[in-house]
Amino acid sequence: MNELSIVILLAIALTGVLLWLLVPRHKSSRMAAPSFPSNVNDALPTAKHYVYFPQIRQALSEADSNYLRETAPPQVAKQALRERRAVARRFLKGLHEDFSNLARFGRIIAALSPEVSREQETERLILSLKFQILYSLAWLRLSAGNLPLEQLEHLTGLVGRLATRMDAAMAEISTLSARQIPRSLGT
Amino acid sequence: MNHLESALYWSSLSFEIVLCGFVFTRKVQRILPLFAAYTCVPLTCAISLWLTYEYFGFTSPIAGYAYWGSVVLTSAARSLAIAELCRYGLRAYRGIWALVWRVLTALSIFLIVHVAVDAWGQPNGVAIYGVTLDRDLALVSIVILAVLLLFRNYYGVALEPLQRAIAAGICFICAVDVIGDTILRNVYTGYLFSWFLTSQKAFWPALRPQVERVNDIWSAVHLSCFMISMGIWCYALRKPVPAPSERPVLLPAEVYRELSPTINLRLSTFNNRLVDLLKP
Repeated sequence: MNELSIVILLAIALTGVLLWLLVPRHKSSRMAAPSFPSNVNDALPTAKHYVYFPQIRQALSEADSNYLRETAPPQVAKQALRERRAVARRFLKGLHEDFSNLARFGRIIAALSPEVSREQETERLILSLKFQILYSLAWLRLSAGNLPLEQLEHLTGLVGRLATRMDAAMAEISTLSARQIPRSLGT
Repeated sequence: MNHLESALYWSSLSFEIVLCGFVFTRKVQRILPLFAAYTCVPLTCAISLWLTYEYFGFTSPIAGYAYWGSVVLTSAARSLAIAELCRYGLRAYRGIWALVWRVLTALSIFLIVHVAVDAWGQPNGVAIYGVTLDRDLALVSIVILAVLLLFRNYYGVALEPLQRAIAAGICFICAVDVIGDTILRNVYTGYLFSWFLTSQKAFWPALRPQVERVNDIWSAVHLSCFMISMGIWCYALRKPVPAPSERPVLLPAEVYRELSPTINLRLSTFNNRLVDLLKP
């Protein structure tokens, strides 16, 4: 590939990225400080998907799988197992959403802080990128059917604890600057 | 100038006048003075070039220098307008602005040094320097705008509609310039290279029509696309410019100092758990 093709492809790719970034998206416009809801509890993210884990665990339990294999016709059992994996994938997606919300909380704090640490911000960016890669791998393994349920449970427990801590932190911030957050995030 | 060149020249001049009219009627200079100045530069250059063509002739060497000078001047004004876009709105977020301006400045210095080295290494010929400089500056503009928007999206500080339209217009004309200048530079340094060598003067009369044709095509494409960019800006300015958004009230610094390490630690633990989960 000669220089001409490289530069032209680079320009097209960069312009594509730029125009994609310029398109106003619902999520990012919600994130924009001027359009944030004035109620701090609505504005700040909370983890919600992990609370459904008991139901998911029941649906994906080994006992249920064995019962299906023993009693249902093979076609039906196969279909049911496929659907259970799809449910688990959706649940993993929900956990991803929880993680993203919590990471976003960190970015909001950074945006509204009068000083930020370069190391902290770089670390958070790297952690988020690493999470994306790990999440994709977990999703692939879950789709392939070789991700043990117990491990998913550990992960869910972690998100739950993280969410509880973040809720406590939000309450602390609300107390600390009850007036400042709604004013800065609202209107 | 032939008929096509004249038509393009006068229509782009009309567009520039309309754009300047919009900019000053909407008082854009109060919120974005460098963008307002940038919109005046092409108009000033167009009038100066017209005077140069009238006085020295369209094909004179001075007209060529004046043309490439105006191209570089427009690129410089565009760079300043982009710098202003970077600063606009983000400066109120003191913490992230301190981070963003350092990253953008370091990136700009690195890229501009690369531009200078690239232009310096070109073979003789003002046109080749000019094309290379214009192409590289346009590429730098796209990169800086992309990095700025990535930062803004990452921290959730969206651009306002007018600034978004300005960025889209700049991005469009820069992309066209990068592609067009790359092709033009390849033609100049390729089969038209004899045109820039005094030792090949004998070939010049035969090459002149081809050089003129290449320049005409590029001028037509560039001016047409620049009119599209001006159209985007005029469209954004059709309504009165809304008042700039209120400055955000920042949180106490302790909130970040206390919470950020905790959040990162938790995110890191989360990733470690995912790694464990993926272990065979």
